[in-house]
Amino acid sequence: MTNSLGDIQKSKAIIIFGANPAVNHPVGFQHFLKAQELNNSKLIVIDPRFTKTAAKADLYAQIRPGTDIPFMYGMLNIIFKNGWEDKEYVDARVFGMDKIREEAAKWTPEVVADVTGVPADTLIQITTLYAKNRPGTLIWAMGLTQHTIGTSNTRMAPILQLALGNMGRAGGGTNILRGHDNVQGATDMGCLADSLPGYYGLAAGSWKYFAKSWGVDYDYLVKQFKDASWMEKNGFSLARWWAGVQNVKSDEKIENAGTPLKALLVFGNGITSVAQQAKIKEGLDNLDMLVLADPFVNEAAILTDKKDNVFILPAATQFETSGLVVATNRSAQWRYKVVEPMYESKPDQEIMFELAKRLGFYDQYTKGMLMQETKDGKLETIPGKTNFTWPEDATNEIARIIKTIGLTGWTAERVKKHTDNWHMFDEVSGAGMGPMKGEFYGLPWPCWTKTHGGSPNLYDTSIPVSEGGMGFRNNFGLEKDGVNLLAEKGSFPKGSKIETGYPEITKENIEKVLGITLSEEEKAACGANWKVDNSGILVQKCMEAGVCPYGNAKARAIVWNFPDHIPMHREPLHSPRTDLVAKYPAYPDKANHFRVMTKYISVQSAQDYAKEFPINMVTGRLVTMNGAGIENRASKYIAALTPEMFCHIHPDLALKHGIKNGTMMWVHSPEGTKIKVKAKYSYSVLPDMVFMPFHFAGYFQGTDRTGNFPAGTKPYASGESVNTVTNYGYDIITQIPETKGGLCRIEKA
Amino acid sequence: MEYARMKFYCDEHRCIECDGCSVACAEAHELPVGIARRKVITINEGIPGKEFSTSIACMHCTDAPCEQVCPVDCFYIREDGIVLHDKEKCIGCGYCLYACPFGAPQFPREGIFGAKGAMDKCTMCAGGPLETNSEKERHLYGQNRIAEGKVPVCAAMCSTKALLVGDSESVSAIIRARVSSRAKGASNPLVWDKAYKNQ
Repeated sequence: MTNSLGDIQKSKAIIIFGANPAVNHPVGFQHFLKAQELNNSKLIVIDPRFTKTAAKADLYAQIRPGTDIPFMYGMLNIIFKNGWEDKEYVDARVFGMDKIREEAAKWTPEVVADVTGVPADTLIQITTLYAKNRPGTLIWAMGLTQHTIGTSNTRMAPILQLALGNMGRAGGGTNILRGHDNVQGATDMGCLADSLPGYYGLAAGSWKYFAKSWGVDYDYLVKQFKDASWMEKNGFSLARWWAGVQNVKSDEKIENAGTPLKALLVFGNGITSVAQQAKIKEGLDNLDMLVLADPFVNEAAILTDKKDNVFILPAATQFETSGLVVATNRSAQWRYKVVEPMYESKPDQEIMFELAKRLGFYDQYTKGMLMQETKDGKLETIPGKTNFTWPEDATNEIARIIKTIGLTGWTAERVKKHTDNWHMFDEVSGAGMGPMKGEFYGLPWPCWTKTHGGSPNLYDTSIPVSEGGMGFRNNFGLEKDGVNLLAEKGSFPKGSKIETGYPEITKENIEKVLGITLSEEEKAACGANWKVDNSGILVQKCMEAGVCPYGNAKARAIVWNFPDHIPMHREPLHSPRTDLVAKYPAYPDKANHFRVMTKYISVQSAQDYAKEFPINMVTGRLVTMNGAGIENRASKYIAALTPEMFCHIHPDLALKHGIKNGTMMWVHSPEGTKIKVKAKYSYSVLPDMVFMPFHFAGYFQGTDRTGNFPAGTKPYASGESVNTVTNYGYDIITQIPETKGGLCRIEKA
Repeated sequence: MEYARMKFYCDEHRCIECDGCSVACAEAHELPVGIARRKVITINEGIPGKEFSTSIACMHCTDAPCEQVCPVDCFYIREDGIVLHDKEKCIGCGYCLYACPFGAPQFPREGIFGAKGAMDKCTMCAGGPLETNSEKERHLYGQNRIAEGKVPVCAAMCSTKALLVGDSESVSAIIRARVSSRAKGASNPLVWDKAYKNQ
């Protein structure tokens, strides 16, 4: 999220692609409603389903799943044709918009109407309203990301915002709504298969920086792997770990150093709400050991037929522990413990500490919490410190190490001070008042130094770096094919000493770029670049010059290291429009994608799916539940509102199949799996589409598995998981499953 | 001296059918499943331009019809306008349900004949005639948040602040401000100079 929920109140127009904040973010949605009331903001919703959010919209477009790129190119086509783009902004701050203009020229409203199903005049109306009401903010969530082309979707949206000059402005930006409490924090901390914490990546240099910061030898870390090369490769992802398990049937090649996965440890992750449920079951069944740490019984234990070596560890809830959490707008908040952990439950970190002790690396695991940086850029054990205080010392360790996104200012003491004094901040802008003046609530990152007040909106050049301003990040070199990748003259954060673009700051270039001279002591103390500079001198010098440590560059519309240099439309692997597949085919199959061969074109071209499976299937969330739904279904009042799994179906479609409202129906997937669910008539879906929520589990392909719950732990509501029938398909870069665009066949049960 | 008159109002432009109000109510008062002191209603679901949601409970009528029809006179209206009843007097006849325009009265249904027990309804979190904050009051009527100076739990929980509760003057002032700025923006209100421009 580049801006914040409160900042949406400053928007003149809000356009939402593939997100349903009225259901998924009900409290955050009040800012959207206030924008309509206080700012006469126009709300535009693009979604295959007429959602609760759409019910509040000024304009709504019912788009075919997986065709957001054509829709946005269609908008750009109209914007360029009418000269509505922000030319000055694009020239100074964007690289490669010409290529976008060329592609957009192909997407006339008529072509877009054919591909997306949205009438040409609706597209024109929406584009006109959005372009003429600036600043406009663009919202998205899983509806854009969960596609084989999810990465392209999420590039397309910022490109639209860049063309209109909406990035880096209050009331503008791309505001991606995080789905759960502290998802932003989990991402920042590198709960991913392709990065160390803080988006440092997996290169040897990053590992060496972390080894030094943790106070352990790099060689010690290397010894934990088969060899050093495996440290730098992506691991298995949440989407496809099962493919690597021993004895799982698959024709997809695994590259895991010749060893299959044998054990799985799950901390609070609803792995039953991930696509390919039948394969997940197969993976679980074939593990040697399965450990599930969760406050509730993780339904992976119910799904599997595995009888031995399944361990359910009672983890404490958030009310029984304390620590820092990160909100969707990159701001931190301290959460205090309300009660001691109940019964035999333990907080996650204690479970991990006990595991580390038994596996023999507890000292190395916790050493970083006993260390500090010295003035000369070295690290030392804090004199006399032998024990750490949880979680404060962990928070301070994070602040000390994570520089890439500017967490330096997030000391436990500062974050607590914000939480304790939240009445001293403006509830819309987050700006501090009185003693908190000069700081933004929760110190939204980047928070460059221990005195910096946080950055409310990313890429905003209208304010100084010291107050949260910045240009775009310089991350991809200084020029490409002879074109300058740095911002042009005149585009710089207010009050900067340098009035043009500049590269990210390194020890080597700082004197030249900032026009300063470092003393010999400073030179000896600082690290190679600002991201690995333990001394903090490079960042400090930048602050003094009003310069952003990561540089001041252009945003890239062209990403030359991705398969599609500019976002290109590609039909879903299972497309209802077989006639369009040849024109907009899927990617070539990709070997070793997070260690698993992943299919694209070979699946898409295998058969004409639309013949046998003519119905679009989308999945989503209910307001009463989140994630795999286990904690919600264990609440009797919530279970009373949504007591069973259902399928939203248009009466015209249902009656064609003889399905009455409230009766059972089968949904079949192209993979040969099926689920039995209750039909619920709804006009929110078109007659060529069904919608199902993803919060249910406990039933599998028509069979009741709830007998597997240990006594007294069965939730009030159980049902089929829709992910038993979501189709095969994974994003080309991130490997997120394609659950927002697939096909199915239905029949009366 | 003028007393405040306590009223509920649900702003249908803001209500998103999140059911936070009804679940908060059920949890706070530990209601049996099936007793809906408050419920959220959506009409024309899925139809563009026509879908609206609103939250309904006892509206604490000034001229409460339930009170007028009750054969055992178990209702009483507090000085602040909150309509309450005495469950120990109630005979469960259901007259109030017929009289109520909002379907507020709830009856526990037990056994095969669905025998009605004493009526239950929204108390605006103000308990009942028993000793304030006593265990018996909590057991029969739920929490008495009003006595503790707290907002009724439904409105406190409302995620978009669609559901408002309080002195009718204050509630209508909030709604008036929202209505007058809606579709025009508070920075561009429809006031005299705009209304009579060029006239």
